[in-house]
Amino acid sequence: MQLKIEQLIPVPLREKLNQKHSDVWLQNLLIESTEYIGVQAPSGTGKTTLIHCLYGLRHDYDGAIFWDNKNLRNLSGEEIAELRKGKASVIFQDMRLFPDLTAWENLELKRTLTNTVSEKEAAEWMNRLGIGDKMMALAYTLSYGEQQRLAIIRSLLQPFSFLLMDEPFSHLDHQNTILASQLILEVVKKNNAGLLLADLDENEFFPYHKTYLL
Amino acid sequence: MSQNSQAGILKKLLLRKKKSGRLVSAWIALCIGCTLLLVSVIIWSCFQDLLSGKSGEDSLGATFLTISKKVDDASMAQKGSTQILSDDIAHIKTAPQVQDVGLLTPANFKVAASLGSGQMSFYTLLFLESAPDRFMDKMPETWKWQEGDNTIPIILSRDFLNMYNYIFAPSQGLPLLSEQSVKAIGFKLTMGEGANQVDYRAQVEGFSDRISSVLVPQSFIDYGNQKFSPGSVGKASRMIIKVGDPSDKNFITFLEKNDYTTNAEQLRFSKMRSAVEVVSGATGILALLLMAIGTLVFVLFIELTMAQAQESVRLLLQIGYSPKKLSRFLISKYIPIMLSALLAALLIASSFQFFAAQKLNSLQLKINPFPGLYVWTAVIFSAIVLLLQINQSIKKAINNRI
Repeated sequence: MQLKIEQLIPVPLREKLNQKHSDVWLQNLLIESTEYIGVQAPSGTGKTTLIHCLYGLRHDYDGAIFWDNKNLRNLSGEEIAELRKGKASVIFQDMRLFPDLTAWENLELKRTLTNTVSEKEAAEWMNRLGIGDKMMALAYTLSYGEQQRLAIIRSLLQPFSFLLMDEPFSHLDHQNTILASQLILEVVKKNNAGLLLADLDENEFFPYHKTYLL
Repeated sequence: MSQNSQAGILKKLLLRKKKSGRLVSAWIALCIGCTLLLVSVIIWSCFQDLLSGKSGEDSLGATFLTISKKVDDASMAQKGSTQILSDDIAHIKTAPQVQDVGLLTPANFKVAASLGSGQMSFYTLLFLESAPDRFMDKMPETWKWQEGDNTIPIILSRDFLNMYNYIFAPSQGLPLLSEQSVKAIGFKLTMGEGANQVDYRAQVEGFSDRISSVLVPQSFIDYGNQKFSPGSVGKASRMIIKVGDPSDKNFITFLEKNDYTTNAEQLRFSKMRSAVEVVSGATGILALLLMAIGTLVFVLFIELTMAQAQESVRLLLQIGYSPKKLSRFLISKYIPIMLSALLAALLIASSFQFFAAQKLNSLQLKINPFPGLYVWTAVIFSAIVLLLQINQSIKKAINNRI
């Protein structure tokens, strides 16, 4: 799978971003699904906007995004669902869990969509990230750190060729960051997938092939 | 777990905020709308049955009229001025609302009826008439005659028996006669005069509400006219016509303009029929409106529930649920609710029809006690309309969240 970005620039940020150089905005990029990409994005450079544009959540941009040569803008609701279900997974900065469901239900909702990961494996991952005892807790009662680990596990419960991450470890301590990044890397390798992580600072969470400055 | 748990979680997410009180009121609104629609279809279709006389009995008696030429001062002196000619038949066939025309052929010879002898004897001159079979409201099995048969079946106007029982018999101190007793008594009919005189046995086989006359089979009148009055074959003064709507102004104007007379009471009755038709039409429109309101309430309920679940829908779409999957899930949850309301409406409407049929049966009006084709069509039609509405509002709600 390929991700192609052509002269992309979000309309609301156009004025601001035009004034300085970016490796991503208004550039032509071709990213293969085997590549690990780090995007260093200081505040206000449109980090979350980039992830949302790539994932098809917003369309207020000029330029074009192609997933496997298909213009994201032209995909139907069903095609976007297919993309999100089996090709591109995401970890949102704001987690986006269902607050009134339990941690386990949040995972089940995603896991049963494709059934590619077993219940047992999902439960193991919860244990590995230290939230095994939170299975039956309602998501809104979890701490940010716990919610973030839950969101990470949820993103891994489907087949994917690309994993998009928006500050995935912002609420985690060093130890938990290592645990989570190891799990992510393991599953990314199993899926033969690529990853794209956007974060504020330069980081070494993953062995990046390329690093871009946003 | 897996699929079952997924459905359970989806239900919790999308339908949990469904207030049961609201659901019940939406269900009731839909049920009332459907019930009224079905009841009005039932009223309309039963009314059509009664009017078109499908039930065999000429229940409302309004679609068959006996007409003849008006007798006025000028025509009194002219012999044969009221005779119906073939031109008249052709002419009346072109009249508005007329669907069929038949001649009431009279016996153009002397007929006398007599019964018994001595003190209890009875003798009267009589007239006979025949109508084409397709215009008869009563057709007993014995309704046939052929040359050589000695017994002639007779159908008597029920009016005549009523006049006898309620007016003539009490005033003359005569015994009352039930329909059964009249049918049981055979009497003698003497035809013709002098050397040509023949006696027959006559038997009343039934009573007609439609034609005020003493009716015998057409074959007997044809034979009798040929035999006893050879010059008069084909002469008739009355026609029986089948009309769609006898209260049609154009039809009444036609009759007046051409100096035809008919039973005015029947026309008055048919005005009532038009009034009932207007009322049932208005009921239909009202029912459609209420059905539309019922559907609207139900659809608004769905939209409200969807609006409350909009954040969940948005998030589900974001984690890879397809719009189709979500609409299928939601539609599958609303269809049983919708169908149960429709089914309850059908049950209520059918019970209404059943009890109405029983009630009307005691008034000699026969209607189908069970839902007919029109009702089933209305049920299927309503189900399709509701399904489309539900489908549309759910799809709209989901697509807005993409």
